[in-house]
Amino acid sequence: MSKIQEHRVMLKYADDPEQATLAGYRHNGGYKALEKALESMTPDQVTEEVLASGLRGRGGAGFPTGRKWQFVPETDKPKYLAVNADESEPGTCKDRQIMELDPHQMLEGSLLCCYAIGAETAYIYIRGEYPHSIKATERAIEEAREAGLVGKNILGTDFSCDVWVHPGAGAYICGEETALLTSLEGNRGYPRIKPPFPAVEGLWRCPTIVNNVESLACVVHIINNGAEWFKGLGCEGSTGTRLFCVSGHIARPGVYELECGKFTLRELLEDFCGGTGTGRPIKGVMPGGSSFQVLTPDELDCTFDSDSVQKAGSSLGSGAIMVFDDSVSAVEVALNIAEFYSHESCGQCTPCREGSDWVRKLVARFCRGEAREGDIELLMDVTDRMDGTTICALAEALVWPVQSYVRKFRSEFEAGITRRAAEHEFGGFSKPVESVP
Amino acid sequence: MSGNGNVTLTIDGTEVTVPKGTNLIEAARRLGTHVPHYCYHPALSVVGNCRICLVEVEGMPKLQIACNTEARDGMVMRTRNERVEKGREGVMEFLLINHPLDCTICDQAGECKLQDYAFHHGAGVSRFEDEKVHKPKNVSWGDRVVFDSERCILCTLCVRFLDEVAGTDEVSIDARGDQVTLIVKADGKLTSPYQMNIIDLCPVGALTSRDFRFKSRLWFMQFADTICTSCARGCNTTVGVRDERVLRMVPRHNADVNGDWMCDHGRLHFAIANDDERLSVPRVDGRGVPYAVAAQRAADLLREAGDSAAAVASPFMTNEELHVLKLICDAAGIEKRLFLNPVGPGDELLVHSEKSPNARGAALLGFEAVDQDCEGVQEIDVLLYVTPREGIALPETVEARAKRRIVFAFHEREADVLFPLTTWIEKDGTVVSAGDRVQRLVKGFSRFGSLLTERAALEMVLQALEAGFEPAATPAQAFERVAAALAPFEGLTFTGVGAHGAPLGRQEVPA
Amino acid sequence: MRPVSGNGKFSAELVKRVEALWERYPDRKAALLPALHLIQKERDGWLSDETIRDAAELFDVPDMHIKGIVGFYDMFHGQPVGRHVVRLCKTLSCKLRGADELRAHVREKYGVLNGETTADGRFTFKCFECLGHCEVAPMMLVDEEKHTELTTDKLDAVLEALA
Ligand SMILES: Cc1cc2nc3c(=O)[nH]c(=O)nc-3n(C[C@H](O)[C@H](O)[C@H](O)COP(=O)(O)O)c2cc1C
Ligand code: SF4
Ligand code: SF4
Ligand code: SF4
Repeated sequence: MSKIQEHRVMLKYADDPEQATLAGYRHNGGYKALEKALESMTPDQVTEEVLASGLRGRGGAGFPTGRKWQFVPETDKPKYLAVNADESEPGTCKDRQIMELDPHQMLEGSLLCCYAIGAETAYIYIRGEYPHSIKATERAIEEAREAGLVGKNILGTDFSCDVWVHPGAGAYICGEETALLTSLEGNRGYPRIKPPFPAVEGLWRCPTIVNNVESLACVVHIINNGAEWFKGLGCEGSTGTRLFCVSGHIARPGVYELECGKFTLRELLEDFCGGTGTGRPIKGVMPGGSSFQVLTPDELDCTFDSDSVQKAGSSLGSGAIMVFDDSVSAVEVALNIAEFYSHESCGQCTPCREGSDWVRKLVARFCRGEAREGDIELLMDVTDRMDGTTICALAEALVWPVQSYVRKFRSEFEAGITRRAAEHEFGGFSKPVESVP
Repeated sequence: MSGNGNVTLTIDGTEVTVPKGTNLIEAARRLGTHVPHYCYHPALSVVGNCRICLVEVEGMPKLQIACNTEARDGMVMRTRNERVEKGREGVMEFLLINHPLDCTICDQAGECKLQDYAFHHGAGVSRFEDEKVHKPKNVSWGDRVVFDSERCILCTLCVRFLDEVAGTDEVSIDARGDQVTLIVKADGKLTSPYQMNIIDLCPVGALTSRDFRFKSRLWFMQFADTICTSCARGCNTTVGVRDERVLRMVPRHNADVNGDWMCDHGRLHFAIANDDERLSVPRVDGRGVPYAVAAQRAADLLREAGDSAAAVASPFMTNEELHVLKLICDAAGIEKRLFLNPVGPGDELLVHSEKSPNARGAALLGFEAVDQDCEGVQEIDVLLYVTPREGIALPETVEARAKRRIVFAFHEREADVLFPLTTWIEKDGTVVSAGDRVQRLVKGFSRFGSLLTERAALEMVLQALEAGFEPAATPAQAFERVAAALAPFEGLTFTGVGAHGAPLGRQEVPA
Repeated sequence: MRPVSGNGKFSAELVKRVEALWERYPDRKAALLPALHLIQKERDGWLSDETIRDAAELFDVPDMHIKGIVGFYDMFHGQPVGRHVVRLCKTLSCKLRGADELRAHVREKYGVLNGETTADGRFTFKCFECLGHCEVAPMMLVDEEKHTELTTDKLDAVLEALA
């Protein structure tokens, strides 16, 4: 028995098949937070409570949610909430659990946010490849509308709010908050330069809050149980419970709701998740999706919370932990990552449009064992020049992991240089590298 | 600190004060410092996609794009240092890895910002050894514009111009990543009457003019900064000439007149300047004669006719020419002083409904606007007629009402005295454009060595009428005479009008 | 604004649904993505240049704008597709659990590479980036149904059941 226990708050009723229905959700205490807020709290008090809870965004950037809400200016313009349900970061599959199993929870959180920021419309931007989430959420909204929980004069108060599902159509970049807004307005999903930030100028140039599904689900419990209760969970900097998706070479893959700060990353992977399950040792761990640095087996003893993982040189990102064992070529993993980002670059700004595919081509060269002397330095330099020079963080999401692979598995890259190919166990690859156009 | 809507910042060690809201490219411009940029244009929305305008701002961990960074009080920014250069060099390298580098056959060579900046900010050698991305080349976007996707750096200036300025929204972007390319409407043709501005805007050779393609390398041309005369707007232009021919016309910046744009109609309307069939010497009774002979004959006819003569001026004439014509009328006692005033549809951007450059000047100088039937020219003995431009003329029946005709025209025609007409690019002078703005025409060349401008020819006629008259020695002197004669011109000088024009004085101008 | 009515190019049912979508946004253009999903379904699963023109007319936006959208989003098809679209996840979590082998199997057994349609027109095969089912990898989406923890046998069973 592992010393690690799941602490289910958001997923508490995920196993109850009725939870996705309004009746089931209400039976389990649903919409109590909304009732409480509308009856006894001002919008500012809701924001204050969220701020006090220490909740940080669960979409990947970890920005304090309450602070973001406070950026919404006083204005006569309409305000909007855009729920980020584009969940496309490799390894991430947590928002899907909420939407498929407990969509009312996201809906209630969204309504609370709208009440706090004074929005009368919320759009839930769900990636198009999630047809089940789309259906479940649409059904939940319909039920809620019929029950007077969405629409005009919610619960008989003068708070009115419409909520709509907006399906995406297959573009990772639309998870970036400004690209999500451009896409929602009916365009190619191009990130926008900041400033202005969405909270000031978002949808149709009106103040717009973009929040991740899980962040909003947390809000429900913060309002129900209070900021102090939420702060009592997890640890400083990582308050509350968080959903983690563990995948790859792992004996017990899954989505787990955990409190941070109570155990190490190694304990999580080796005790709680049962190790690789392949009979081989862990070779690398990407603890926060593919956008952050890989950790090697000697780096897993950090405490499992945002700040500690950051100190260890990576990030908990979107809560997606991908593990691979030592049968895998690090160069091949790096190529898979490079392919992903070069395919997903929106093509708007120079360094990323031109650089991401150059990086892919370079890594592929190592993978084929056709790299040349100096290519490692070239790869590092090209990625350096993409770092911090682009419109959005997609370029960095390519640069950071790729550079970490080169730094931490340098000998495998060196083996990809023609002359040395034959000498190394990962030097030549039997599998042809077929890249996805 | 600087109050009242201004901010003071330090750029490369020098302080500068600029209005609040100014971005760092414009702030640097005040100091004469050029921050390289491709996708930024002051008249278009800021998208920050090219990333070449990186600068260092103290207190900011990353390099910032100058186009989207507002100048703030106390800001310290650097446009040149190792870090900035490295950033720019990186962007240049990225821009070039998939660029075809066909400068030797590219029309843009010589005014290509990619070539330019590569020289200043590039490392020189390419470290990219893989296959370049191939995209469509030589794509027709209709009769005027040709697109080369491999050369395109995706700055979207053309997309934004058509959407935000021309209002036609007809170019968009397809695909993703390094496959992106521009696309136009399904029928593949641009429709905007302003579409050729995207050729000028394009910082590289991705958009070329079908009209100008491969006509000349830039460095073989000479340039005249003048204006367009196809309507009363008087868009400021730079005319590229070579061997006494006009090769192209492009807009020249004037914030008070045309911004950075001009209409395609005006831009393409220069065939007459290159017409080899044009009249090159005056004629009397069909025979070629020296100017002096023609002038004498014209003067004789006018003196004889006196009050029974009429003068029909052209609104394509400069103020100076009109002024001499007015003096001729005074000297010969001609009362009927008219001018043909062509009009047509205008639009909300630039195109004016008056289809000539100087109807205002003609009116100021006492000529009366008439339409083409001109009642005024009824029973007259002599008609002194300066024809306007091709396609605009008095009906023959009107001309036929006169017994004798002194005509200024481009081509051979029946007249007692015929003077060759010159085009706008062959003369110096001024006009009064829309908004009562005095603007200058600047001579680019004279087509035939022997050709005199209308001003010179009319001055000879006037000399024949009035022995004491001295022709103006310079365009500036001719202007001074106009200015002295017309109250609204008070305070204006030829140099003061300069390359960008100047508004007329307080006096109301007759409509 | 022109009156709310279709342009006669799409079914009345679809137009009604698009009109309902328009009500959700302050600007009709915002309904493009959801509407294009519906339109694609009605037009045999892909968006031809003609369909794009019809949609542009319905939305009163320039056609190249929609073409640019089709070229941007992976779920919109600018080329004809088979009766079913099979999307196999190729990203890291699935790759680590056998996505490459599944891909090789599809190529062997059904003779299609990424983006190709089987000769009998039964399905179009696409390798997709992370489909968000990492905990049950490898996975594929067949039209709107998901199939997880795939093996070659399981994949065959699903594909063979396709009409
Ligand atoms: C390339 C890129 C992709 C992203 N994808 C997602 C995503 O799929 N889902 C998400 O919630 N946030 C994503 N984000 C983060 C969002 O930009 C934004 O920070 C987040 O939605 C804010 O919500 P939160 O504060 O509740 O986390 C992405 C960011 C980048 C740079
Ligand atoms: S960094 Fe990449 S994804 Fe982001 S805006 Fe630039 S090109 Fe697009
Ligand atoms: S064609 Fe020229 S102006 Fe248009 S996007 Fe390309 S480089 Fe820019
Ligand atoms: S708007 Fe008038 S002046 Fe300007 S270019 Fe066109 S015709 Fe010439």
